[in-house]
Amino acid sequence: MTPINPDQLIVQLTQWALSFLDSYPLVAVLVAILLSTVPLVAVFPICFAITTWLERKGLARIQNRIGPNRTGFLGMLQPIADGIKMLLKEDIVPKTSDRLAHFLAPVVLMVPAFTILSVLPFNRNMIPAAVDTGVILFFALGSVSTLAVFMAGWSSRNKYSLLGGMRAIAQMVSYELPLVLSGVTVIMMTGSLDTTKIVAQQQLSEWIQSSNAGLQCLGQIIGWNVFTPWGFAGFLIFFVASLAEINRCPFDLPEADSEIVAGHLTEYSGFKYALFFMSEYVSAFAINGLSTTLFLGGWSGPNIRPPWSDDPNALLIPGFVWFFAKMFALMLVMIWIRGTLPRLRVDHLMGFAWKFLLPLAIMNIFVGGFYYYAPRWHGIPVVGWPIGFLVMYLSYECIGRLNRGPKTAQRVYHYAS
Amino acid sequence: MLGIGILKGMAITAKNFFGSFVNKRLLPTLQYPEAGNSVTLFSRNIPFLVYDNDEDPLGTMRCVACKICEKECPPQCIYIVMEKDANGKPAKRPKVFDIDISVCMGCQICVEVCPFESIKMDSTFELSTPDRFEGLLLKREHLLKSNTYFHKIHPDEAQEVDDRLAAKQKKPAPTPSTPAA
Amino acid sequence: MIIAFSILSVIAVISALLAVRLRNLVHATLTLMAFFVALAGLFILLMAEFLAAVQILVYVGAVGILILFAIMLTQQVTGNVKEHIEAHGALWGLAGATAVLLTLLLPAILKTALPLQPVVETIDPSVRALGLNLMSPYAIALQVIALLLTAALLGAVVIAISPEKSEEEKKS
Repeated sequence: MTPINPDQLIVQLTQWALSFLDSYPLVAVLVAILLSTVPLVAVFPICFAITTWLERKGLARIQNRIGPNRTGFLGMLQPIADGIKMLLKEDIVPKTSDRLAHFLAPVVLMVPAFTILSVLPFNRNMIPAAVDTGVILFFALGSVSTLAVFMAGWSSRNKYSLLGGMRAIAQMVSYELPLVLSGVTVIMMTGSLDTTKIVAQQQLSEWIQSSNAGLQCLGQIIGWNVFTPWGFAGFLIFFVASLAEINRCPFDLPEADSEIVAGHLTEYSGFKYALFFMSEYVSAFAINGLSTTLFLGGWSGPNIRPPWSDDPNALLIPGFVWFFAKMFALMLVMIWIRGTLPRLRVDHLMGFAWKFLLPLAIMNIFVGGFYYYAPRWHGIPVVGWPIGFLVMYLSYECIGRLNRGPKTAQRVYHYAS
Repeated sequence: MLGIGILKGMAITAKNFFGSFVNKRLLPTLQYPEAGNSVTLFSRNIPFLVYDNDEDPLGTMRCVACKICEKECPPQCIYIVMEKDANGKPAKRPKVFDIDISVCMGCQICVEVCPFESIKMDSTFELSTPDRFEGLLLKREHLLKSNTYFHKIHPDEAQEVDDRLAAKQKKPAPTPSTPAA
Repeated sequence: MIIAFSILSVIAVISALLAVRLRNLVHATLTLMAFFVALAGLFILLMAEFLAAVQILVYVGAVGILILFAIMLTQQVTGNVKEHIEAHGALWGLAGATAVLLTLLLPAILKTALPLQPVVETIDPSVRALGLNLMSPYAIALQVIALLLTAALLGAVVIAISPEKSEEEKKS
């Protein structure tokens, strides 16, 4: 019997369970599919529930309120209460709406939101669908959500819905470019579209396999892409673009409640609305999971080898703990931003994508290329790092200054001092 | 540097977030039914009738049913009927004193015009009732509250009123001998 | 495999037919996208994930959205039912097509012996091969396409700058 490796426990259990089905290959395939998909469909709605609670409590604290506190301890059962409320509500479909498209829109949004989760490596050997083209598949399926939002907006036969849908399309198509281009840098540096390889490239295997616990810890962190100039810039661009891609504050124009009621969600109620709400959060998790994978080292984190194990790759803390921790950390930053920044204006939104993020992302690709070929001293990028950082900082400043609008005169208040 | 404003804003919200756990000023919410209410010394909403002796509320009520407040009340929510004794002679106290608090606007004019300091403003606010007609028409019995209660809710004002009444009590002794010219 | 293939191809054929026949332009576009997705599924069955991903990314994510944008700018989304062209020659057309199929195409198809491809056990990462091909033999073609697209982008920018505004700027 091999010594227990907490990191791979779930994987080993799965393999052990599947070993009973060796003589029935068809059943084994079906069970394997279920074992890799059911956890996704079970875990992420729970994460969604936790996040709604975190968001309500966090926003409340930011706004000097207490937040939900009547349902359970600290209002922790609030998501359940919300869910029951949503399920019991009447499903109202407008009379003139396009019933089929109206019905299909939440489904079309839901399917890619959950499908894209399957290319994320939650741990070593824990990836639901190990495909060579993981990142591209992620972006491809993610772009389908644009269609769903349009379907929702158009089928409702409501001017606010249609406006929201059009805004959503314009915004999501625009922000997909910086999103993909900042990811391209990572793909270029790794030389692979495979998410598992991207994570593996961010770990220093020599340090991890050494006997020193400190080196083992550090080796899991030091290689993260976010600690390189192109990785840092790319992470910021990716994060901002992903905020827009999933329609979160300050880019929540498609559902701007003070301008266009609720955008494409105006005519949705009951369970369909709940589906929309859930898919939005699940795709937020997915895109945070991808930015964790691309820039924050995926499932690697400060971790040591368990003392009883002599397997060089064994880890004490399961990797998915770090993955979910990072994903939730990014989610919390999104909530924090939502509590801070006001909504952008439409023209500012477009200008920000095309005139600021896109040139910066393209610049980032060049810096990445320079970093890759710059001479190194004992493997340390002594030339690439400072010059790359300087170039990225200067281009940030320059592009930002070029984007400054005409200086407006100080506003004069006639009746207020 | 560009974008520093965003970071400043984020810092402010973070300060609010963490401060709300330690600083009472950053979390002003009162958990109402459990943690009491925020009634201040000056809060007022509906009037009540003052009596002096706790043993005999009806006997020691200050109101003499002069009906000045009834006449002055802008929304006309006060209804007074003077009590008459066995001989049909008016007794100087109200038989009926109703205030419709669904109409009362809390303007305090009745308090201003009352020459006998008998009607004062209350600060109670838990007035909800399942009956919107009878439940909101407060009768004499509901409105009568003791002077000690008045001292409890508005101590300064009650003390002032007491002083004034005491001064009046002293004065009236010579009044009958020197009629007003 | 066969089941998945049949389901996907039936979806593809039906949605393609609907895309042609539907009177409502938005519905037609949506069924067209369903066709694209089914086609991507067929690519996945052929173990060409990259092609499938690009199919969805480009056709559903970009081309379809572009068509929808164009439709949103048109006046009338649904065609007028009264102006429906009544084609009475459908039967004759079908008969002609069947005749062509039976007399010309079918014998030709049956006669041609397709060389059987060897069963591929493991597929080399197809993206790598694709990238290498794009970068060495087809590098010039790629550059030319890139140049063309850049020119198109610049042209779009030039069109987007309205001349009235530039005159205003000159005045001020």
